[in-house]
Amino acid sequence: MAPLSNDRKRALRPELDALVGTDGVLSDPDELLVYESDGLTLFRALADFVVFPRSAEQVAAVVKLANREDLPFVARGAGTGLSGGCLPAEGGIVLSLMRMNRVLEVDYDNQIAVVEPGLVNLHLSWRVGPQGYYYAPDPSSQQACTIGGNIANNSGGPHTLKYGVTTNHVLGLEVVMPDGEILWLGGKTRETPGYDVTGVFVGSEGTFGIATKIVVRILKKPQAVKTVLAVFDQVEHASAAVSEIIARGLVPAAIEMIDHLTIQAVEDAFGCGYPRDAAAALLIEVDGLAVGMDAQTERIVAACRERGARDTRVARDEAERQLLWKGRKSAFGAYGRVSPAYMVMDGVIPRTKLPYVLGRVNEIVAAYGLRVGNVFHAGDGNLHPNILYDPRKPGEEARVVQAGAEIMKLCADVGGSISGEHGIGLEKADFMPFIFSAADLGVMARLKRAFNPTNLCNPGKIFPTKKSCGEVAVGYRPHPIEAKGLAQRF
Amino acid sequence: MPSTLVEKLAAVVGPDHVATGVALSPYVIEGRTPEAAVFPGTVDDVRAVLGVAAALAVPVVPWGGGTAAGVGMPTTWSGLVLGLGRLNRILEHEPGDLTVTAEAGVTIAQLQAALGAKGQWLSLDPPDADRATVGGVIAANASGPRRHLYGTARDLLIGVSVVTAEGEVVRGGGKVVKNVAGYDLPKLYIGSYGTLGIVVEATFKLRPRPDDERFVPVMLSSVKDAGAALRSVMGSDLVPTVLELLDADAARALGVTAAAALVVGFDGLTEQIDWQATELARIAAAHGGRTGAALGGGATARLATAARDACPAAASVMRLSVLPTQVAETIEHGGAAAKARGLTSAWSAHAGVGVVTAVLAAPDVARATDIAAVLGEWRGVARAGGGFATLEWAPLAVKASVPVWDDLGAAGRVMQRIKAELDPNNLLNPGRFVGGM
Amino acid sequence: MTHATTEPTAATGPLTLGGLSVEGVNQCVHCGLCLASCPTFSELGTEMDSPRGRIFLIKSLAEGRMTMSDSVVSHLSLCLDCRACETVCPAGVPYGRLIEAAKAEVERVRPGSLARRIFRWLNFGLLLRHPALLRFFALKLRFYQTSGLQRLVRATGFARLLPGTLPAWEALLPRIPAGASRAPLPRLIPADGARRARVALLEGCVQSVVFGDHNRATARVLAKNGVEVVVPAGPGCCGALNAHGGDHAGAVEMAKTTIAAFERDDVDAIVVNTSGCGAHMKAYGHLLEHDAAWAERARRFAATVQDFAEFLAREPLRGPLRPVPITVTYHDPCHVVHGQKIRRQPRELLAQIPGLTVVDLPESDWCCGSAGIYNLTQPEMATRLLERKVAHVLATGAEAVVTANPGCILQIQQGLAARGRDVRVMHIVELLDRACGP
Repeated sequence: MAPLSNDRKRALRPELDALVGTDGVLSDPDELLVYESDGLTLFRALADFVVFPRSAEQVAAVVKLANREDLPFVARGAGTGLSGGCLPAEGGIVLSLMRMNRVLEVDYDNQIAVVEPGLVNLHLSWRVGPQGYYYAPDPSSQQACTIGGNIANNSGGPHTLKYGVTTNHVLGLEVVMPDGEILWLGGKTRETPGYDVTGVFVGSEGTFGIATKIVVRILKKPQAVKTVLAVFDQVEHASAAVSEIIARGLVPAAIEMIDHLTIQAVEDAFGCGYPRDAAAALLIEVDGLAVGMDAQTERIVAACRERGARDTRVARDEAERQLLWKGRKSAFGAYGRVSPAYMVMDGVIPRTKLPYVLGRVNEIVAAYGLRVGNVFHAGDGNLHPNILYDPRKPGEEARVVQAGAEIMKLCADVGGSISGEHGIGLEKADFMPFIFSAADLGVMARLKRAFNPTNLCNPGKIFPTKKSCGEVAVGYRPHPIEAKGLAQRF
Repeated sequence: MPSTLVEKLAAVVGPDHVATGVALSPYVIEGRTPEAAVFPGTVDDVRAVLGVAAALAVPVVPWGGGTAAGVGMPTTWSGLVLGLGRLNRILEHEPGDLTVTAEAGVTIAQLQAALGAKGQWLSLDPPDADRATVGGVIAANASGPRRHLYGTARDLLIGVSVVTAEGEVVRGGGKVVKNVAGYDLPKLYIGSYGTLGIVVEATFKLRPRPDDERFVPVMLSSVKDAGAALRSVMGSDLVPTVLELLDADAARALGVTAAAALVVGFDGLTEQIDWQATELARIAAAHGGRTGAALGGGATARLATAARDACPAAASVMRLSVLPTQVAETIEHGGAAAKARGLTSAWSAHAGVGVVTAVLAAPDVARATDIAAVLGEWRGVARAGGGFATLEWAPLAVKASVPVWDDLGAAGRVMQRIKAELDPNNLLNPGRFVGGM
Repeated sequence: MTHATTEPTAATGPLTLGGLSVEGVNQCVHCGLCLASCPTFSELGTEMDSPRGRIFLIKSLAEGRMTMSDSVVSHLSLCLDCRACETVCPAGVPYGRLIEAAKAEVERVRPGSLARRIFRWLNFGLLLRHPALLRFFALKLRFYQTSGLQRLVRATGFARLLPGTLPAWEALLPRIPAGASRAPLPRLIPADGARRARVALLEGCVQSVVFGDHNRATARVLAKNGVEVVVPAGPGCCGALNAHGGDHAGAVEMAKTTIAAFERDDVDAIVVNTSGCGAHMKAYGHLLEHDAAWAERARRFAATVQDFAEFLAREPLRGPLRPVPITVTYHDPCHVVHGQKIRRQPRELLAQIPGLTVVDLPESDWCCGSAGIYNLTQPEMATRLLERKVAHVLATGAEAVVTANPGCILQIQQGLAARGRDVRVMHIVELLDRACGP
């Protein structure tokens, strides 16, 4: 796509002004620069315009204008994403949905809410909290990230172990299609006729259109919650404890692991009460009925003890529980205390492979002369190795990218996935062949064509591209289940 | 060189695994007999069969346990029945990962037995578990009462292998419980009735088997009271796994005598179930009802089909999806609409998720006009509240006058494009699904 | 990437802006967790008006990727400096320091119109540095308010004819109390009963003129609780307003004056009842860290500074306490809750007052729009935030809003008055004074 000429830019500005108001359009280069990255600063791309629509109709009007002008467009929420998914990779228009942030309707009896995409995830729980409800998906960035962004990435969070990810909580979507048509996918009822286009739209990383209204489930707050902090002197023991808990027939709401380096960072940040000398800590939460809570907690404590926990401690009150979670949820940002930059990886492995994979991750990163902090959803096998580096040291960023690629390969090789919740975006497009064959990607491409035939809606994402940034050249590798003869490729 | 369809199929799977002639009688749908039925034993053979069908432009009707074979319109041309019963291996079950990968022809009962031996289960309980298969349950999006807490296939299926219309094997999702790499293809195939591809393998996430389980009936004096009690239970601290609302006939089929009943299921630690049962009794009393003795194993197993069992001479079965608060009203209005035309009906609902099953009984099919009128009214009731209705089963004569599937709205255009992209020659179950897809 | 932007230059030395270090920008990892905590971002939805965006602007300015354009100036100026972002920032970005450096740079590069420069000089250069002049000005202001001139100006709509932001200034003029309240405190107030501590109290500049009664009440409550209070003569303004307003040099000079004035007394703590001053004085160590002669003195001084509630809540209030049977809600001043991380203590103090009902204020730690002189320089945004605050206050049904900062009190009072609502706005010390009795 050729960059937009200054003449065309000048001509388009008043048209956009007319659609969304003069205070709803940015075209000043300094202001556009602020939008060059999301939460992953490794990638930068500059938009020609950033617009701030206030309604589905305004979104549709902007999208239609983009179509007329053959301009790419992409929606952006809070910009907390970690894969470059909301960057205008080929220029064009960024539609910031931050001014569409209302809760439109809450129906407590039917346990649903209708919200706009720019609503901050946590604000929905705040809104329905006084009535005893909450919105379950809780990405660690929930204090800032938007529900629209969660839809794009099918975001998870610590509590997905028990409650599932975003898609399990979305019933329907009003969508501005890539051609500007406004239509509903799904609705308020659990079953709607036809293919599960809602399910397919969630997690499509903004390439299928722009959700402008979202029907989500809200859940009753559990009667009781208990949070256990288990402290280990060896990471392997913590990993084994995760499997032990599952093996004892327990499904905690969350099992999170935090390693030594990460504990230093979060303790520096907020003094949350993690023991600084631990090799790893597990944060385990059970919720549900008050009855039986102690019995479940005891089972968890016993499982951790059996696998070598040095110490286990149950949070005494809500304040202590919140503090422990604050540490967990702020961990990524807290790396800012111990390193000028970090690259957060997001891979998934079968739970039982945790000890092996964590060991390998450390070896890989060490081989590149770098440091890694691990904080992740152990119960789901969703790893987040965070490679620490200094972008001002020549060559260090390139080594980080290479180490990251190796970690992704490792996840794929043990039967896992290259993303558990952050999405593919720009970052991992070239890793897709690690886990998907040409035929797999072919069906995905056809599906995309059904929604987005002109490819103006968020181009350059998800699919491997030859014109990529060129950090890593990747070839096709057989998926483990293929290697075992469980699946074949043709 | 084999030339006919049958010869070509025999060349792929061996003559023993191709059925023709009178052997096709189990595969007759709405009086239409397919040209052949073929039973591949490997994914590779499925791929080859699809290749044969594609080359000859013969439509393919995938067939699992046949439990949902009557759902939808008959295909425009029966073509070739592709039986997946021989793909019946459980490929991988790693208890520590709480995941299982199985072939499409494995029955739900077979799968649960294997998982149960390791203290785990797939938290999906469709009816006819001894016949319903993994592939069929995915294609038909079948579910049962426990979906109230544990959801449906879309909440449990984490990976799928599909053979496309062109005979390619395509994988979507993966084998790990959390995965956002690429588009969520498993969702695409759930409830697609075999119109987008043939599911050959699936990976599910599992749960540990609970210590204990109990289904408690609540007897109430009207459907309206049952609706009010339902609302109270949903707003309470209880965490039921099952929340069914039954009219008198459906309740009777379970051996429960009441004008209307709620059946509330609990699982977990026994002390948790005890506490919840006590709490439930309190809620029941507040609505003028009372709880009865826990359902026995037999009644629990029949819960999913209670309305069907109440009407052995069913003329039609309709599935309505409404908001939970509209369930009681839907049942009341729907029952009255049938009665007004001199017909009887039985109703049960996965009430907490608003999925209602209505069975219409008719003394003879000659009442087709009345039957159609009642079904039309039922659909009207669902639609008035923003819901939808699917004619799950009916004689062809009824289907001719009452559309099986509900209106797709504007989203239908997207679905049509998806179908055109993935099955461009319209060979997979053509015409069976909504909108002629 | 086809639309890659210009590469940020790999800076060699520490990043500075107008000679002040902004190296703290490198602590920002761009995670964006601060966004929803920022009042201006919440109102506008534009990332240039978010903490992460402003840090990016500051970084880009320091790296030379950007120049101080009109739009950059406007986004930096729109920052309230409420520091809510610091409370949520996991990376520990010292945002307050960064924005003060940036605002200083704005003033250096873009001093603005002659009228604005004269106004700034009048405030930062003259009134705030010379307490006597401030008192004189207050006298004139009281004359304006009591003589009927103010009513005349308002009635005739003359105020609307004033240029620029002057009408907003006029509307926000604090009510200057009668002379007795403006009189300085005695230099020593002995403790009642057993002496538990000896503290020095900051009278403040504007505070002593507009809210002298609060200082008197503070001294009474402290004394009642066994604290001997000394009131050093000499310090005028602590320099907080200068620092927030971009007058770095002035702030440094006033910090030194303040330190010198307080060093004369040997005390357990320096107690401050105005949040902006307290937060700023606690940061003297940083402000003077590169001044060899002052660095150690400043650090020692800063370590002694305590907010009034922070100090008082260390021990239970001394009884007997009188009941105060009203319903109140508590608004956290930014520079108490974010600037000094004091959230628990004022609530603990209120909880001890018999008969008092305290209801939660939604977004209690959200800036009311006062923010130093922000309501004068950015009246539109200040009004939006004030309306948000007032709506929350009214929704609580409380009879009074309790807070701990003169700016907040004036701002919220004005907002409630504009709605014609009879809800009192009180300093927490007024309430404690009532409870602790005569």
